[in-house]
Order: sequence, then C-alpha cells, then structure tokens
Amino acid sequence: MTEIELVEKIKQGLKNKVLDLTNPASRRIFLKVDKKDLVEAVGFLKENFNFYHVSTISGVDLGENFEILYHLSNGNCVLTVRTLTPRNEPNVPTITGVIPGATLYEREVQDMFGIKFEGHPNPERLLLADNWPEGEYPLRKDWKFERPEEKIPGGK
Amino acid sequence: MEAQEFKVPIGPQHPALKEPISLRMTLEGEIIKDADLRLGYNHRGIEKLAESRTYIQNIYLTERICGICSHSHTTCFVQGVEKLMEIEPPKRGLYIRTLVAELERIHSHLLWLGVAGHEAGFDTFFMYTWRDRELVMDILEIISGNRVHYAINTFGGVRRDLDELQIKKGLDYLEVLKKRTEYYADIGTNEPTFVARLAGVGKLPKKKALELCAVGPTLRASDIPRDVRKDDPYAAYAEIPFEVCTSDTCDVLARVVVRIKEVIEACKICDYILRNLPPGEIKVKAPRKVKPGEVVSMYEAPRGENIHYIKSNGTDKPERLKVRAPTLGNYAATIFMLKNGFIADIPLIFAAIDPCICCAERTIQLMDTKTGQERTMTMEDLRRFSIEIYRKNPLKKEVIWPL
Repeated sequence: MTEIELVEKIKQGLKNKVLDLTNPASRRIFLKVDKKDLVEAVGFLKENFNFYHVSTISGVDLGENFEILYHLSNGNCVLTVRTLTPRNEPNVPTITGVIPGATLYEREVQDMFGIKFEGHPNPERLLLADNWPEGEYPLRKDWKFERPEEKIPGGK
Repeated sequence: MEAQEFKVPIGPQHPALKEPISLRMTLEGEIIKDADLRLGYNHRGIEKLAESRTYIQNIYLTERICGICSHSHTTCFVQGVEKLMEIEPPKRGLYIRTLVAELERIHSHLLWLGVAGHEAGFDTFFMYTWRDRELVMDILEIISGNRVHYAINTFGGVRRDLDELQIKKGLDYLEVLKKRTEYYADIGTNEPTFVARLAGVGKLPKKKALELCAVGPTLRASDIPRDVRKDDPYAAYAEIPFEVCTSDTCDVLARVVVRIKEVIEACKICDYILRNLPPGEIKVKAPRKVKPGEVVSMYEAPRGENIHYIKSNGTDKPERLKVRAPTLGNYAATIFMLKNGFIADIPLIFAAIDPCICCAERTIQLMDTKTGQERTMTMEDLRRFSIEIYRKNPLKKEVIWPL
C-alpha cells in the first residue's frame, strides 16, 4: 500500500474525526484529531494498518494550548497523531490501553509538561527528583531555570 | 513456610550499572514478581537547553547526549534539520557519514559483547573483545581525530574528507577485525558454559516485543526484522547492500547472536564504503536560519531506533527538539523480561538491552515486603552471586549455538 492510498483509507475510515491529514515527505504522515477521538483513532490505526509501535510522545508548548504528538510506526512509515489540550486544564486520555508500550512516554510528558493522562495505570513521577516542587514543569516555555543562591557554610 | 516478598532496590548507584538508574524489584524468594523504574538521575535538561542554542551549537550539544552513540544523535538531528533547510548533502558526504555510523556500531557492539561476557562470568571474552575494540577506535581516530566525539557531522555534509592512506589503513584494520569477530562467533559455539548461561534467560516473546514497543537488537532478537536502515533508508543505506540480522530464540543468547551478526555485517558495509567511495565534494553550504516547519527524523543507532522531533520557528534556534534514545524504548520490555526471572539474572538481562542511561537519561535495593526490611546489593555482589548460583546449577547440555 502506498502512502497516498493509506492517507485515503484513513480519511474514509475516520471520516469527520480527521481535522487535518498531510503527507509532507515520503514515509511521513501527520494526522490531527480531537482529544476525545484520540484513543479511537489510535486503535483504528493499530487494528487496520498495523501501527502497533509508538516511537515516542512529544509535547509542544503552543502558548494557549499544549500539543501532544504520538509518533506511531508500522515499519514502513511514521504516522504522527497530534491533538491539542488547553493550558488551563491540560489532560488527555491515555493510550496505554491500546498500546502498552506508551506507558513510560506518557509519564515523561506528564513530568515535563504537567499534562494529566487520564486512566494511566501508574501515573507516578518518572524523571523529576522526589523533592522537585509541585506545579513546576520544566519544558513549558514560561519556566525559566534560576540557579538558587549558593550558601557556603562559614562564607559571607 | 510461606515465601516472603522482598522489595529490592537496585541503583541509582550500582557497580553493575555503569550509569545511574533505579530499579525496584519485588521478590518472592529468588523470583522477581514485579519491577518498577525511576529515571532521571542523569537528566541534564538537554531538550530545554536546545531551545536556547543555535542550530550549529545544537550539533555539539546533541553529540554530547551520549558518549557511545554520539554520532547517532548528531546524524539524527542533522538530517532532520537538513530537511527543514531543504538542502541535500553530496554523496561523498553521505558515504562518510554512513561509514562513521557503522564503525560506531562495531565499537558499541564489541563493547557490549565484552560486558555480556563479563556479566556471564566469562572475563576472557571481555578482555579479547575490548582489545579488538581498540582497532575500531583507531580507525575512528584516523578518520576524525577523536575516539569518542567524532564531530564529523555538519549541516549539508561532513567536516572531514578521507585520503588514500586513511582508506588503506581502514581496510587493513577491518580485515583483522572481521577475522577476529568470526573467531568470537566460533568461541561461542564451542563454549558450552557460556551458551548455557545465556540460553533461556530473559525471554521476550514476539508478541510481547511488539506490544511493548521494543527497539533495535532486542526487537530483532525476538525475530522481528525491523531496522530503520532498511525500513526508512537515510544517508547512503539505500545504495549499500546489507542484511537485517535476526534471531528466533528470543532470549539473551539471541541478543548476543544478533549483535555478533551485526558486527560482521557492519564490517562488510564499511568495507563496501571504503572501496566504493564516490568522488566529489563533502558538503554544501547551509543557511543559518531555518524556515518554520516540523520534521520527524529516524536513525538506527547501535541500540535501536533513535527518533528526533524538530520544530522550527523561522529563527536560528529550534522551537522544540524532542529526543527519544533507544534505551528508553526498551525499558518497558526489560521490566517484562525481569518478571518471573531469577534475581541472579538481573545483571545479565539488564545488560542485554545494552542500556545507555545518559542517552535515556538509575540500583538494586531488595526489600522484604512483609517486614519492610531492606537489603542493598552492589552490582559486583550481584554479579558474584549470579555466577555462584549458576556454578551450582547443572549445564544445559542440549543447548546449541544458533549461528
């Protein structure tokens, strides 16, 4: 199956759930869906086109919204499913029910962006330290690193 | 008497793990019932830092993500940005890039073979492979001037050309290396203790490997012929003949077999490149600023599929750089492999995915789940413990080396 055929088939299968579907380079497809359709779309892609492998999940801070990108692969092509979630209440449904391998990636995005993955089996901290303050998410654009003032015992 | 459950933390500081990671094992006697991970002991905030550096600076930054697969990360980053810049590197440049990538694969796999030998209690193997690894390191030094951070990539091609003498020396060294690797494959066949120690340990069935999104040699050892070099050819791989190496026993032995086969295959690729190096320029000029856009770049690192997602915003700095190193992709599968295995197999199973924590960004502590009592074992203790356990066990005579 060529990519053009694949794009057509996805369009037919997901109908009005497809918000945007592009094929900018060979073996690269970008699909945009609403977050309420996310699990269904990922399940559909896995069942019909063998997209069983999630390479990673990236988060991007767009200001008003956060964009979450699921890089899926079936061995022939990389399909990126993107969805938006508002900044004031960032949450998306988990896809670990469809692809169990996504568990660590979801925890990573959760640590770095503070996006809640609803229904995640083990939503504990993965990367950040145990004493990391609550509500600080390092990869958000408004988060700036400030080195705490060094206190030398016996110093000035 | 009922078996007691223990919780054993391994790491973040552990002699068997050369880098920090924290594994939390729940044990029932000698059997691992559950395992959990905590990462982040080596998190350096590179993704955040990349957003405030220019593209050129980011080449040097991505090179320092990992000390072993340094070339993987730069190539992945550079070829992604090249697509955004809409430039195509000349053929000779791509061939040299591929050559360094394959030499890196040889050095990484030989290093791993040594570690596997060491963990299995076969230290002679370790000494031999690491001695021969010096040959690859020498070729890399001849080519790039460096042993670890080759700094060969730049936007639009590579930074250093090869001359006749370098090619001749490279070919001579590869010849020796190929012979020696074949000898190691042979040692494996005739060394029943080594084979018996590795066979049947850390099983990862085909179905599970797919489900848990394993990558690289771990996936190929579960008989799934997936390789980015074949599936999504980059650099010069579309023009170079090579085979994807797989094995079907799905255990640590299969992972050793896959890696030995890959070293032999990589030697052939390097040989082909050095003999068929196209003439011409090695790079084209690249713009400083990059148009807004996004790209997903894939690369087959020695440890598996490496993916970078780059988003540009029209300036000379990236809007977002997401790096997913192969080790992180293999953790979910490792947890599965550890479950229902023996505590004595932890170092071996863990080493079998060739973990590179500074890439992915952890100790074994054992805890009695009933009494809450903790016991910390160093990796060296664990290694000694594992060797001892297996010395007592009878040899698995029926096991055959599948090469």
